[in-house]
Amino acid sequence: MLFLDLLIQGLLQGSIYGLIAVGLTLVYGLLRILHVAHAGLFTLGGYICVIVTNQTSSFLLAVLTSMILVGLAGMIIYRICYQPILDQPPFVPLIASIGLFIAMEELFRIFFGAYGLSFTELPLQEPLALMQINLKQAEWITIASSVGFVAMLAFLANRTKLGLAWKATVTDPEIASSFGVNIIQVRYLNFFIGSSLAAVSGCMMAVLNNLVEPTMGSVPSYKMLAIIVLGGLGNVRGTLIAAVLLGIIESYGTIYLDDLLDRDSIAFVFLIIALMIRPQGLFQRH
Amino acid sequence: MKYLLLSVLFPVFFLGLVHADSVKIGFNVPLTGFAAADGKSALNGAKLAVKQANQAGGINGKMIELVVYDDQASPKQAVPISNKLIEKDKVVAAISGSYSGATRAAAGVFQSAEIPYISAYAVHPEITKAGNYVFRTSFMGEVQGRAGAKLIGATLQRKRVVLITLKNDFGKSLAAGFKEAAGQFNLQIVNEYEYSIKDRQFGPIVAKVKADAPEAIYATGYFFTAGPLVSQLRAAGITVPVIGQEGYDSEQFIKIAGKASEGTIITTSLDRDSNSSETRSFISEFEAMAGHKVDMVAASGHTAMKVLVAAMKKAGTTSPSAIRNAIAQTNLVASTGSISFNDLGEVQKNVQVQVVRDGDFHYHSEIRDQVLLAPPTR
Repeated sequence: MLFLDLLIQGLLQGSIYGLIAVGLTLVYGLLRILHVAHAGLFTLGGYICVIVTNQTSSFLLAVLTSMILVGLAGMIIYRICYQPILDQPPFVPLIASIGLFIAMEELFRIFFGAYGLSFTELPLQEPLALMQINLKQAEWITIASSVGFVAMLAFLANRTKLGLAWKATVTDPEIASSFGVNIIQVRYLNFFIGSSLAAVSGCMMAVLNNLVEPTMGSVPSYKMLAIIVLGGLGNVRGTLIAAVLLGIIESYGTIYLDDLLDRDSIAFVFLIIALMIRPQGLFQRH
Repeated sequence: MKYLLLSVLFPVFFLGLVHADSVKIGFNVPLTGFAAADGKSALNGAKLAVKQANQAGGINGKMIELVVYDDQASPKQAVPISNKLIEKDKVVAAISGSYSGATRAAAGVFQSAEIPYISAYAVHPEITKAGNYVFRTSFMGEVQGRAGAKLIGATLQRKRVVLITLKNDFGKSLAAGFKEAAGQFNLQIVNEYEYSIKDRQFGPIVAKVKADAPEAIYATGYFFTAGPLVSQLRAAGITVPVIGQEGYDSEQFIKIAGKASEGTIITTSLDRDSNSSETRSFISEFEAMAGHKVDMVAASGHTAMKVLVAAMKKAGTTSPSAIRNAIAQTNLVASTGSISFNDLGEVQKNVQVQVVRDGDFHYHSEIRDQVLLAPPTR
C-alpha cells in the first residue's frame, strides 16, 4: 500500500513538473533559449488563480483567466525581452531570462506582499476514491489536467496545420518561412501555449498547498532545466517522461534515500547518471 | 544684517538637530527573499519598541535612530552588513531580526568589534558562543526541543513519535533537543524524515507517516512549510496531535492550513491569553500599528529592542562596553516573559504552549521545568 501511495505521489509531482517543463522545452525547441523566467510565469499563474478565485469564488474561471493572462504575459516577455536579442549568443538571452526571473520574484513580493496569498475558501478538498486510490479532488485534477493538456498538445502538433507549421519552423525556420509559414506568429503561439501550461501548473500548486508566495518558482526554475535536458532538449514527449520519472524517483528517494541525498539533489544525480549513459538525453534520437 | 544672521544661524540650528540628539542602533533583518515575512514582522516589533522609547524621551534625551539593512537571511549578506553597521554607521549596538544562519555569521563580526549584539529569535546554539558581547532574548533551539519532548511525553501522554525535521539550523537544533530529552519521557522515536525549506509538497513523507501510525508527530518548520504540511497530513486522514514550535507562530499558519490547523499545538514564547499587562499592551499596540495579528517574531523583535534600550538607559553612556555590562545585568519583564541572562548570554524563561482553537492561537499549558529548560552556561 505504501508502495502504491508513493507511486501516486510521484505521479502527482511528476504531473506538475511536466506541465511546467513542457512550456520550457517548447521555447527551447523553437528559439534555443533557456527560458528561466518561465518559472516566474508559473508563479504568476498561481497568484492570478488565488486572486480571481477569492473575488469570484469560481476556481474554473480563475484557471481560465490565469491561462489567458499568463499566456499573454509569455508573449509580452518574448516580444520585449527575447526578440531584440535573438541574434546574440545563447548566454545573452539566458542572462536576460535569469534577470527577469529575479525581478519577477521581487515584483510579486512588492505587489502581493511577502506573506504570500491563500484561498479564503479552499476549493477541491473533498476526498475522492477511484480504483481504491484515495486522493483529494485537487490531486486527481492535477493528474488529469496534465494528461489532458498534453494530449491536446500532441493532437495540436500532429494532427493540425498549425502543428505542421510549428514542426516545420523548429526544423528549419528559413525553409518554413519560404513555404508561407508566418514564423513570428508561430513563436507567439508557442509562448502563449507554453506559458498557459505553466499557469495551469501554478494553479494546481496553489490549490494543493493553499499558498502562493513570491519564491514558489525557485525550485521549478532549476529543476525544469534538469528535466528538459534529460528529456532531450526540445523534445516534448521525452520531457514528459523525464518529468514523471523524476517525480516517481523523488517520491521513493525522499523516503528511502533520505540519509544520503536531499530531495532536490536527486534530480541532479539522476541527470548526471543519465547523461553519462546517454549524453544526448534520454529520449533524443540523434 | 538680519539675513546674514539668519544664514549663519540656520545651518547651525540644523546641524544641532542632527548631531546632538540621536543614537544609532543597527538591525539586520530579511526584508526580501524567503524569510521576508518574518523579517517584516520582527522589524515592526522593534520599531514599536523604538517608538515607545522615543516617545518616553529617548535614551537620556537622545532619540534612537534605527539603522536597518536587509540580509535576506543569508550569512553571505550578514557579514558585509555587520561591517557596514560598525564601520560606516557607527552603531553603538545591534539586534538581529534574522534567522540562525545570518545571525551566526554576524555575531562573530560584532564580537570582534566589541559591539553588543542581541539575537531576537534565532535559535542556533553557536550564536552566543561567539563571545561575551552576544546575547539571545529567545529560546535556544535545543531548549525548545526538550520542551517539545516533555509536552508530548508528559502533558499529552503519548509514546510513539515521528519526527519531521526541517533541514536547516532551526529544525536541526530543535530536533537535537527533542531527541536528547526523548529518553527522559520514555518517547520512542519511530522514524525521522527530513525536508528542505523549499518543500511545500510532502506527499511521500505523509504516505510513509501514515504507514508508521505514530501517536504524535513532532514537525519542525516555519508557517510556510508547516501550513501545507499540516493540511496534507490531515487530508491523508492522520488525526494524531501535530506538535510544532515558534516557527508556526503566525496567523499565516492558520490561514494556509485552514481547518486542518485546528488542534495543532506549538511551543513558543508568546502567550496570547496572558494576563501580564506587559504582554497585553504589547499585543494591542502592535496590532493597531501593524494592522495584522501579533506573532512570535514581532514579540521577539520588541523584546530584544526593549532589553537593549533599557540597558542603554542604565549605562548612561554610548560606550559599547558599558552597554554590554548593562545588558548582562538585565532584569525586566517583556512581552515574551521575564528576561535575565546567564553567563553565556542566554535567557531562561518558561515555554508557552499554545493550541489552535477556532482559528486563533490560545493558551494550552506552560512548561516550567527549570532543570529541563536550563540553557547551557559558559
